[in-house]
Amino acid sequence: MSQPFVRLQGIKRRFGLIQALSGADLDLYSGEVHGVLGANGAGKSTLFNVLGGLVSPDSGGIEVEGSSVKLRSPRDAWARGIGLVHQHFTLVPALTVRDNLRLGVRGHSLTAAVAAAEAKMERTGLRVPLEANVSELGVGDRQRTEILKALLRDPQVLILDEPTAVLTPEEADGLFSVLKDLARDGRAVALVAHKLDEVLAVSDRLTVIRAGRSVMTAPRSQVSVRELVAEMIGDGIADEVAMGGQAGSSSDSVAVGTVQVPGGASAASPSTERGRMVVASLVGVYADRLKDVKLEVRAGEIRGIAGVEGNGQHDLALILSGRKSPSLGLANIPKEVAFIPQDRHAEGLVADFDLTENVALALSRMAEFGSRVMMPWGVLRGEAERIRAQFEVVAPSVETRAQLLSGGNQQRVIIGRELALKAPMLVAENPTRGLDVAATSYVHGELLKLASEGVAIVLISTDLNEVLRLADRVSVMTKGRMVEVSESQKTREGVGALMLGGGEASN
Amino acid sequence: MTLGVAAVLLMLGGYDPVQAAAAMLRGSVGSWNTFVSITLVRAVPLLFAGLAVALAFRAGVWNIGAEGQLYVGAVAGVWVALTFTDLPGPFLVTSALTASVVAGGAWALVPALMKLRLGIGEVITTILMNFVGIYLAAWMVHGPLQERRGVFPQTDRIVDAARLPELISGTRLHLGFALALVLAGMLAFVLQRTRFGFHLRAVGASPAAAVVAGRIDTNRVILLTFLASGAIAGLAGGVEVTGLTYALYEDLSDGWGYTAIAVALLGGLRPGGVIVTAIFFGALQAGAGAMQRDAGIPAAWVDVVEALVILAVLGLDRIRAARVGHHAGEEAL
Repeated sequence: MSQPFVRLQGIKRRFGLIQALSGADLDLYSGEVHGVLGANGAGKSTLFNVLGGLVSPDSGGIEVEGSSVKLRSPRDAWARGIGLVHQHFTLVPALTVRDNLRLGVRGHSLTAAVAAAEAKMERTGLRVPLEANVSELGVGDRQRTEILKALLRDPQVLILDEPTAVLTPEEADGLFSVLKDLARDGRAVALVAHKLDEVLAVSDRLTVIRAGRSVMTAPRSQVSVRELVAEMIGDGIADEVAMGGQAGSSSDSVAVGTVQVPGGASAASPSTERGRMVVASLVGVYADRLKDVKLEVRAGEIRGIAGVEGNGQHDLALILSGRKSPSLGLANIPKEVAFIPQDRHAEGLVADFDLTENVALALSRMAEFGSRVMMPWGVLRGEAERIRAQFEVVAPSVETRAQLLSGGNQQRVIIGRELALKAPMLVAENPTRGLDVAATSYVHGELLKLASEGVAIVLISTDLNEVLRLADRVSVMTKGRMVEVSESQKTREGVGALMLGGGEASN
Repeated sequence: MTLGVAAVLLMLGGYDPVQAAAAMLRGSVGSWNTFVSITLVRAVPLLFAGLAVALAFRAGVWNIGAEGQLYVGAVAGVWVALTFTDLPGPFLVTSALTASVVAGGAWALVPALMKLRLGIGEVITTILMNFVGIYLAAWMVHGPLQERRGVFPQTDRIVDAARLPELISGTRLHLGFALALVLAGMLAFVLQRTRFGFHLRAVGASPAAAVVAGRIDTNRVILLTFLASGAIAGLAGGVEVTGLTYALYEDLSDGWGYTAIAVALLGGLRPGGVIVTAIFFGALQAGAGAMQRDAGIPAAWVDVVEALVILAVLGLDRIRAARVGHHAGEEAL
């Protein structure tokens, strides 16, 4: 451990008005798993992109094995043995998984590549259908493919940005044992994940980034969760966040105290409110990936729908939110449904529009925002200002383009906008995917608050803990069918078994 | 740099680059009358067609068919102007232009429906419809609409009542130029201030978000945008025959429908930008004509120089855009 394999020092990078990194340092030693922590927008992704050669720093030094280098492209980084697994997918949708894996591997024959891929799949438990076209895969399978692709190139340093966001707990565990194996083989692994307990469980050392700067680096064994959260958030609110965040919600490796989400989970006592009005119902609904779905959502309840990615949840979300009609069956849906789609970048926001325009995207449907012909920009701008202030969106102004915001801030814009619709129902699909503890806790708080105000909420999530913690009633989706979970099955193990039962059957 | 390359090329061809440049400037902005009667007049069809393309591209509708839409617009306009000669002045020219609008829109309806109903990409279909439109016009001036003398492949000249009045007396600039400016203003207003314009921009910027976050009927937006784009391109043809040529010729358009794509892109797909780039291209074409006449440089060389200028402007535009910084998906705040 005398000399780090990679050393980043004083990295600065600015995007337009926004200083993403203002002096970040990171040392990666061979043989360690290094967890990078930080709030949304702290600069973690940018730092990883610098390391992966995707973003060149404005200033600061990069050393690989003691010699100063410039990483001008991912190719440069790969040539130095540094491999980045992307947060956003870089697969070719029209090609099969096998061909995509081949694209990443140079100098291998087709059969060798496939054999290597199969060996890796066997060893890591990251299974993907090799012959399927990537366009047919769900997000989970795409993520697995992405990770396999990087592993096949045998990097000295593997950098993973939110690799577990779309994996089941078992798959995440599988991935972590792979990462530990890699470290044991003398590789360096650097990792960002939004679930604090995951990072803590797998990392040997940790670096905390706050506001574009590295504020702490320490071996895992020498810091407490409370210290880490305090460093991530800065002063003041650390305790509150640590209490409400995802960390420690289920994992026994970390003790953070009881889980108490701001907004009051206790207020919505589970499934005692049977007498409430039915806000939406589906009967015998079929669609591309749905089979005979029956569902009833009542005012003031959080209806949780768990399931492994790609079992029909997205179709369900689109139908429940009125964005799509079922091919068969009866869907009784309120005229306006607030919707937090799972893909913020593609479906939730227009990346090229500013905040006002993104707010207008939904609000202009409301009668009070002007005539059918004109856009009342003055009023809409005011509304965007209100949302920015009330939901604490970190953005220079409402004229900032949405793509310049971090994931957490994008989600705040979407939530603020959808809540402003004052719809009787909200459909949220993986609303905390890729968000850090503070942002996750914030989103959960908003959902609970809404439910307590009488809004019917459908929470569709691949994060089992999230569903179990928030939902009054839980169903599981497997292979397009819906299975209601009885009170006695409502445990992590019980629901997990139902999820996996379907997941395995679909392969 | 481009100028350097152009100069070297011209010298290799045995021409004097200084003389060529002088001719270019003289022929486009050499005098007030040159500017108005040649440059601005050349700019009019580019302006209409450029607006048509810009509007479509803003919605993500890749209408490459302005050329064909322009030709059928010209055919329809000329036909009305030659047929209903009894109509009083303003009505006849208005009817002719209305016919151009309808014909251009109808020409765009075919690829629009093929896209929306059958899922066939509009790039291919609009290009193919160009050939049909161009040869339809050619057949018209050889056949049904050929001049009564039957000598040249062109129509009879339209009556005075079917002609657009001149805009500045003593020049060739006609009312069509003013119409184009008004249209640009209208389009800017529609795009920025109206609900339809907002929906159009949303569909162009992110169809998925338009559907999911905006609950926008994208098919309706695409259909209406396609029709409007075709109608405006049709108007380009109608205005040209009623404002300038007073007859339909076989080679009425000098590829304006295609140049319009460069005009629209360089104009940033904004109506105001299109005005500037259309006039720039008008000047380029006017200057190119002068290079041929005054410096004796053959048309092919002129085309090369023109293409180099376009490439240079496109390159500069891209470099400028990169400087401003587009880092999609970058976690930055």
